[in-house]
Amino acid sequence: MEFKELLLQAFISLRKNLMRTLLTMLGIIIGITAVILIVSIGQGAVKFITSQLTSFGTNYFSINPGTSVVSQFAGGEKNLTREDADAIDEDPSLTNIESVVPLAAASAKVSANGESGTYLIYGVTALAQNLFKPEITSGDFITEDDELGHNRVAVIGIDVVEKFFGQGADPVGENIRIGNKPFRVIGVAKSSSTFFGGFFNNSFYLPINVVSDQILGSESLQEIDISVKNTNTINQTIDDVTALLRERHDLEKDEENDFIIQSFQDALTTVQTITNLLTVIIAAISGISLVVGGVGVMNIMLVTVTERTREIGLLKSIGAKQRDILTQFLMEAVVITIIGGIIGIILGISGALIISLLVGIPFVISIPSIVIGVLVAAGVGIVFGLYPARRAAKLQPVDAMRYE
Amino acid sequence: MPTQSSLIDLKKITKSYILGDGSTYFALNDINLKIEKGEFVAIMGPSGSGKSTLMHIIGALDTPSKGDYFFKRKNISAYSEDELAQIRNREIGFVFQAFNLLPRTTVYKNVERPLMYAKIPQNERKLRVMEALKLVDLEDKSQSLSNKISGGQIQRVAIARAIVMNPSVILADEPTGNLDMKTSHGIMRIFKSLNAKGRTIIVITHEPDIAEYSKRKIKLVDGKIVSDTKKR
Repeated sequence: MEFKELLLQAFISLRKNLMRTLLTMLGIIIGITAVILIVSIGQGAVKFITSQLTSFGTNYFSINPGTSVVSQFAGGEKNLTREDADAIDEDPSLTNIESVVPLAAASAKVSANGESGTYLIYGVTALAQNLFKPEITSGDFITEDDELGHNRVAVIGIDVVEKFFGQGADPVGENIRIGNKPFRVIGVAKSSSTFFGGFFNNSFYLPINVVSDQILGSESLQEIDISVKNTNTINQTIDDVTALLRERHDLEKDEENDFIIQSFQDALTTVQTITNLLTVIIAAISGISLVVGGVGVMNIMLVTVTERTREIGLLKSIGAKQRDILTQFLMEAVVITIIGGIIGIILGISGALIISLLVGIPFVISIPSIVIGVLVAAGVGIVFGLYPARRAAKLQPVDAMRYE
Repeated sequence: MPTQSSLIDLKKITKSYILGDGSTYFALNDINLKIEKGEFVAIMGPSGSGKSTLMHIIGALDTPSKGDYFFKRKNISAYSEDELAQIRNREIGFVFQAFNLLPRTTVYKNVERPLMYAKIPQNERKLRVMEALKLVDLEDKSQSLSNKISGGQIQRVAIARAIVMNPSVILADEPTGNLDMKTSHGIMRIFKSLNAKGRTIIVITHEPDIAEYSKRKIKLVDGKIVSDTKKR
């Protein structure tokens, strides 16, 4: 039979049991929707994280104290110091280094206008502005003069302005107490980075030596951020810096680093690896839904073949060969799964669009995942439709005609 | 080998089934039957006489347990299912008592179906379908759905489908079994006129007045031919 006729015949048969057809499609719809949705959101997330990370520039790497990420956050490590940062900055052999930004961190009690609370206090140099790229909504950022003069000045995150000075107030020139010492507010900073904005906008920024001397009481650093001139040789620079720090920290050959170096490129790769892995895992789980859906299709096709035994007998009596019957029933199974697949793709894309709008990640349509979705749907139809279709084709005409 | 050029030549045809208690049941027992081109044959007999089994074998819907079936001088008793399908498609036109038409399908599509299995091009299909429908006076119903027409019309569509491939023989199994008297005779008159134009027709019936339309009556009892009479 001609393809067009087969298709038409399949639609006529499926329309007769519309509710049953739709329910049969459900497993396929859920499976394909899940795959398309997950892949799309996964890719959107990767794109989002990538754009966030690259907004800092991939020419950065960071050094944190400690041997693991956990100890770094626990804050107990004090083996990364201002001298380390200066040594890196001043080493003439490290020609690829553009800037070295040391960062000290402390938590301290902040009070002003009768309000008080404990906040993260960052000690920064003027160069930190290049790293965090904050928007200075009022006043200025910490300057080199502030550092040199050990000035008790503070730049405050935009989210704490309201608490201490009231909504819409301009705190520049006002006084606050940090760690029980008076500071003058010289600027308000705002980061629009979804990643870092949360704590950046809720913290205070002071000249680094002021933090070391007057709040922390030590030269230890939370982080050193280093930018390079040539990103292509960043790994060589990382190796050189590692060697320098190991030497400075008197580490033996078999000792582990007591600091962690991470480049944004590394972070990017890590994030992409994790997201891709998650996407594959969740897509595989969604695949189970497709198998379940396929079994549903097979089940219903077996019922259909039994119900239409007389029809099969009639078709055989007027000359249908086994192949004709096989293709007719296979076509019905494939039409069910392909329509299910198309509905799934539409739902998956719509879902991804809605979620991307709600969560604020970019909306990514993956053409390969759509093509794969359609092919997988068709494949499920062929694989699970084959057995019932073969059963129909193998019926003996006389048995089929006698069937009541 | 057949001695003469009969259209249908059954030689010592037996169809038997093993029953649950191990005994053998003979639906057809040693049947010898020749049907020539252009005949109008009625096969009669009470229920269980084997007339349906005989029709299935003549119609290539079933194969005999023993014996040889020569159709147009070819022994088709050992043909494969697909070879038999081709015989049914090209050489035999069926009209059944019930479940004759594809449900949810137009009259036109029903009559067209055998032509599609024969891979006849669309232009020619259209001409042949309309010609067949004209013969049964149903041209105006070509786009009606098969479940929206009367019982008599259904049988006429079945006849149109049976003749559309221009087969050697038309095989009708109780074609008037579900129809009222008046409609039944209308259907039989169509068969009679088709026979008058030279078509071979075999009708299975248990109704004597329906058998009266034929020129030859074969009576079956317990799987054997008990009488075979020709009208003068």
